[in-house]
Amino acid sequence: MSSALTEVRRSTVAETAVERPDRKKKPPTLRKARTFYLFVAPWVLGFIGLTVFPLGYAFWLSLTDSDGLSPRTHFVGFQNYVDIFHDPLTLSSLAKTGMFALVTVPLSILAGLLLAVMVNQPVRARGLYRALIYLPAVVPPVGAALTFRLIFDRDAGAANGILSTLGANPITWLVDPNARYVLYALVLWGCGGSMIISLAGLQDIPRELLEAAQVDGASYWQSFTRITIPLLSPVILFQVITGMIGSLQSFAPLLLSSGSLSGAGAVPQGNYLYMIHVFAQYFSASRFGYASAMLWLLFAVILLVTLLIIKVSARTVFYTVEPEGASK
Amino acid sequence: MTRTYRWALSLVLLAVVLVMISPILWLVSSSLKSSADMASFPPTWWPSQPRFANYTEAITSVNFLGAAQNSLTIAFISTTLTTLSSAWVGFGFARLTAPGKKQLFVVLLATMMLPGIVTLVPTYLIFAKLHMVNTYWPWVAWGLGGSAFLIFLFRQFFAGIPREMEEAAIIDGCGYVGIFWRIFLPQSWPVIAASVILSFTHAWGDFVGPAMFLSQDSTTLAVAMATGYVNDKGLPMNNLVAAGAVMYVLPVLILFLFMQRRFVSGFSTSGIK
Repeated sequence: MSSALTEVRRSTVAETAVERPDRKKKPPTLRKARTFYLFVAPWVLGFIGLTVFPLGYAFWLSLTDSDGLSPRTHFVGFQNYVDIFHDPLTLSSLAKTGMFALVTVPLSILAGLLLAVMVNQPVRARGLYRALIYLPAVVPPVGAALTFRLIFDRDAGAANGILSTLGANPITWLVDPNARYVLYALVLWGCGGSMIISLAGLQDIPRELLEAAQVDGASYWQSFTRITIPLLSPVILFQVITGMIGSLQSFAPLLLSSGSLSGAGAVPQGNYLYMIHVFAQYFSASRFGYASAMLWLLFAVILLVTLLIIKVSARTVFYTVEPEGASK
Repeated sequence: MTRTYRWALSLVLLAVVLVMISPILWLVSSSLKSSADMASFPPTWWPSQPRFANYTEAITSVNFLGAAQNSLTIAFISTTLTTLSSAWVGFGFARLTAPGKKQLFVVLLATMMLPGIVTLVPTYLIFAKLHMVNTYWPWVAWGLGGSAFLIFLFRQFFAGIPREMEEAAIIDGCGYVGIFWRIFLPQSWPVIAASVILSFTHAWGDFVGPAMFLSQDSTTLAVAMATGYVNDKGLPMNNLVAAGAVMYVLPVLILFLFMQRRFVSGFSTSGIK
């Protein structure tokens, strides 16, 4: 992943940083180094203060029985982590989150890819199609969730309105077992984001390659599977990774039901994702130690999943430029 | 490509656009319904008598303007600080060298993959300890720290500016701070525009941040809208919810429509492949 990201960097650097053998005196270099640290200092300090330190603090909390209020907290070792694996509610929320990610990530990417291929064709007003399909992806999450609450409202919602014109019985959408489909629909509504990323990838594919294949008599499907998909694979990998990271920490069902961090109780069982359970432990049950352990478990899971995806994809993802470390 | 094929494709795309846009249309339609329209089943597709009073009621029945002001303040703080700080750090990575730079850059790229929420909750606990909850200081801190993705964007852009510019300035006695401020930053307006749009949209849409860090009466629109409008019986007044949501979503949609060319083709290409 990071190697994919650094590729652009390398190519632009190669163009601009033309070799300059002269001017290698010591003092300017030293001054330059000090200036470099001055320039990157805000980010380094922010990274330490707002990422490393909070993560460390959460880890320390996860080893205690803190409730966030009383000053008397006890060190309990890894007891919270042991408890997680004996808590069926936590484990089932983790399983639901995995399920949620496995359904929505591939669907979004596939839908986005399909749409990208379509709006990449020379049709009239394709700029307008692109903009309008992408539009839902810029609607703020709260606005999107409220909209879907209104569409799937039992009485006044459009979904049941359509069902009734078709002569079917109305469905209570926002509770179990149907609430999960509303959630999937909400996520898929934003697949324009995936379309834009895939479209950018499609436009980077050299036209000559596809033309050459056409001259050689390849069908559209053949050149799609043999040229387009392999050349697009880094872009797809990027989406798989960011999609997994995003959906594993999703709390969208909270916005679909109560719209408050302490309102986890209103979330239908089928949509009770891991992060919602974390919020419930922090803000309703005040189990800070346990909730912090849950956060660290999620962190570990996300890290493992990311590494696993990179590992598995190493053979299938095709880079046009040699990845990091091959040159320079 | 044949004519029929092109027609069929246009038709399919038209259908997709309709599906994608229909939720927004439904939101607008709901925002103009009376309570009687909301109660009828099967639902009214479009109110025969649009009720614009929903909008004024949505503004008065909760502290809409106050929340909007808080949203704007937070969006302004984070947009300005994040953009400036990211440009500053990006300049450092693009134009200066020092031991450890390569490693730092790898860390920067890696942080883009860190799960944001996992660090957010403990950050809240720390700010609570420092008595900075219910102030704007957390947003100042986040803004000053910059955003890894935007730092990367600025770095890419600055790395492409010819070195002669910098050398001429050094000969004229200009330091690196001056070079950044007077030469590089004014040239980087395409990235600044992208950064402003991205940070504004993010700050405007953020729910967890304000929900955690701000109390109910000093919160942002995102949180105020999420809890919704309820009548004295505790039941949601969905036509007001819709009207409030329209007003909440509109600024972002307008920003998008103005900048859609940049959104749709511009920065999406950079930074992925």
